[in-house]
Amino acid sequence: MADAKVKKECDPADAAVIENRIKELCIQFPQGITDQVIQNDMPHLEPTQRAMVINKLLSVGQLDLLRNSSGLLYRMKDAQSASKMKGSDNQEKLVYQIIEDAGNKGIWTRDMRFKSNLPLTEVNKILKNLESKKLIKAVKSVAASKKKVYMLYNVQPDRSVTGGAWYSDQDFESEFVEVLNQQCFKFLQSKAEVARDSKQSPMIQRNSSFATSHEVWKYICELGISKVDLSMEDIETILNTLIYDGKVEMTIIAAKEGTVGSVDGQMKLFRGVNPIIQPTGLVKTPCGLCPVFDECHEGGEISPSRCIYMTEWLNF
Amino acid sequence: MTAQEARLCGLLLREHFGEVVEKIGTHLLRSGAQNLRTIVNESGTPIDLVKKSLCVLMKHGACRFSIGRKGPGSPVEYQASCERILGILRYPRYIYTAKTLYSDTGELIIEELLQRGHMTMSSIVKMVADRLTHNMEEGRSIEYNEVVSTFSKLVETHFLQRCPPVSEVVPPVSTAPTVPGAPAAPVSTGPPTPESFSDCYLVPSVSLAGRGKRRRSGEDVVLDQGTTKKAKTDLQTHGDEGIYWQVNFERFHLHFRDQTIISAVASKLDQAWESLGTSRFDSDYETSSEIVRTMLRMSEVTTTPSASCTQALSANEVFRSLPANYSISRPILDQYLTLLVDDPMEFVGKTGDSGGGMYVVNLHKALTNLARATLESVVQEKFGSRSARIFRLLLRKRHLEQKQVEDFAMIPAKEAKDMLYTLMSENLVLLQELPKTPDHAPSRTFYLYTVNQLATARMLLQHCYKAVANLIDRRLFQTKESKRLLEKSQRIEAIMASLQASGAEPEQLTEVEEMISAPEKQQLESLRHHINKLDSAENQVDETIFLLKSYVASTARITR
Repeated sequence: MADAKVKKECDPADAAVIENRIKELCIQFPQGITDQVIQNDMPHLEPTQRAMVINKLLSVGQLDLLRNSSGLLYRMKDAQSASKMKGSDNQEKLVYQIIEDAGNKGIWTRDMRFKSNLPLTEVNKILKNLESKKLIKAVKSVAASKKKVYMLYNVQPDRSVTGGAWYSDQDFESEFVEVLNQQCFKFLQSKAEVARDSKQSPMIQRNSSFATSHEVWKYICELGISKVDLSMEDIETILNTLIYDGKVEMTIIAAKEGTVGSVDGQMKLFRGVNPIIQPTGLVKTPCGLCPVFDECHEGGEISPSRCIYMTEWLNF
Repeated sequence: MTAQEARLCGLLLREHFGEVVEKIGTHLLRSGAQNLRTIVNESGTPIDLVKKSLCVLMKHGACRFSIGRKGPGSPVEYQASCERILGILRYPRYIYTAKTLYSDTGELIIEELLQRGHMTMSSIVKMVADRLTHNMEEGRSIEYNEVVSTFSKLVETHFLQRCPPVSEVVPPVSTAPTVPGAPAAPVSTGPPTPESFSDCYLVPSVSLAGRGKRRRSGEDVVLDQGTTKKAKTDLQTHGDEGIYWQVNFERFHLHFRDQTIISAVASKLDQAWESLGTSRFDSDYETSSEIVRTMLRMSEVTTTPSASCTQALSANEVFRSLPANYSISRPILDQYLTLLVDDPMEFVGKTGDSGGGMYVVNLHKALTNLARATLESVVQEKFGSRSARIFRLLLRKRHLEQKQVEDFAMIPAKEAKDMLYTLMSENLVLLQELPKTPDHAPSRTFYLYTVNQLATARMLLQHCYKAVANLIDRRLFQTKESKRLLEKSQRIEAIMASLQASGAEPEQLTEVEEMISAPEKQQLESLRHHINKLDSAENQVDETIFLLKSYVASTARITR
């Protein structure tokens, strides 16, 4: 359509000259040119004519339109992406553009449909096409297992999409977490034991049983049990689960800025501790663990005298 | 009082005092204060049986009487105390404590008193001396004075106390001569507490000389009969008639509480001596708990039973009062105290700097932490450690959304949901709705999970009562099942004893012994094993009951 208009309103040869001139200017200023630059270069050019030419260049995908603080900016599209899109139609280009804009967060088909104003079937066809050309890829999001998001083929998905170190293929790796949990605890425990056996004054004993999160992190990294790179925050999340397991205590101390393992002038110290009580008396009886405790009545279908759990426990 | 408590009370009464007392006791528990006539009518029991039952209950402190509510001249009303009846469950623990603190003599004194409710000092001393003598080798006996000194020690440490005097003693009922004025009407309104009498820990001077007498070998095997016979025939006076003694349960409970705190400190801060294989009294290994023990002992007298923390003690005082075999220096003690204060469990707190630092034991906080640990342990054992992780997480963070629970606990969404819903269906976790709009639309509402420690503790307490009642039920069932076998073995034992006494031939003895066949013997053995297991389980559950009850009571005192 744009092409037709250009042909109608001005001399095609003239348009070709302007086109080339603009291309040259773009190559001259790789960071992009504004309307002002074109105007200065070709003062005789009418704004309508200029707009025609630029629209044409945009539609064939040779120019990129960018917006910056001073206004609109034109830039030569790099040869690579232009060549990638060779043989694609406008709709495909549009979808590709949308996916590219989504970056490493990816975009959902529904949102794509709204943005592109294309029917769903069309979008799906295009996506299939692009996928087969290895231009984009589908990534399953951890937030909702059914939801697929699309992003460019060479983009590393964001943590919020993959779930970080704890997920592989959008599945939560609970075994991995458990192993790390145990290893961290083992490390802290052995540290506490060494401190105990040192036979020093109680204060020193206590202080040397503490380990900073950085130390734990280093230990886990050196163990090499993890295929993925774990950050110190990842290890701290693991250490936090140990706190909720009641096996570890945490203290925060002030540290000099720049000390290894300190964050915002704070250092988190962890240490393994003993529980304060043994399993309580109630749970040592079958009743304390009974799944049908509430239904149990003397003379009822379930009753203490006929309780099979009790019989098993007594014969144990 | 809940249905579970009532059921347990009934079972305990039946076991210790028989079915009639159970009937009257549960009737009183259910219907509150009632006068004699109403009890007789409503329970449909003959009046003399009701009177006797009331006597028994009264003697054990399980029942109180007071002036009628309709003003002077109205009939006396009786009221059963659930608390005291549940205390029967703890008798083995009282007796065991007395044994560890005051050896066999203390054990027997407490045992006799618990069995009989209340007695005069002279009769206790005689009875205990007789029993001790009986268990000694031939030709030896124990002085009354030794028993008297143990008795005085028990009184000094407030484990025993005088029964509050009954102001107006009507001639006692003929069937129970030792009860002072069972159906008497007191002048004072409201139940008198033993502590309100100034001389409740005053040992009267008694003229007791002599030694424990050995029962003749031909006498009946049942011990109690022999002693009660003697008590009735023994008519000489000792100068303490009318002064009756009872066990001070409160004091025992304070002792239990202190022990629980000490052992908690030991397992948290001291090294596990069991695993290291060192002796228990190695001073290096349990200094923290010894310090707390010393602090608790020092404050036993100065702190009121209901205080939330002990009286402040200076480090100097603690240092002086540490047992002599603890050879730790002052700076080390300070370090230990600092460690105790720094510990997140906050068993010990610091209140000031005078006198080398003033320290208190936070009784309420300690109980709260112990109760929390108990709840956590229940969840951990019943639902697994991951559910326990969620439970602890909620206890720490108070209110969390489901997503937050998953993230903090690092548990996959599906499992976390499952665990949360299971915990919720068991009433261990609560769900709080927080709507953004007044229409409570689910999409505009926050759903926050939370744990209410006090309510959960109360619920678990009820579970404990039910569990104990179940255990007792099972024990009774187990005994009933093999009633015939038990009777047989008892009969045979009696025959054996009489044969032995009459000097029968060994062949005869083996013949009688063989009347119980091998499978029967095995059955008896397994029955004994089962009963023992059930008994010890009852005691273990009672420990949980004690802890939870102390926590609930302590919280009630704080918030009042």
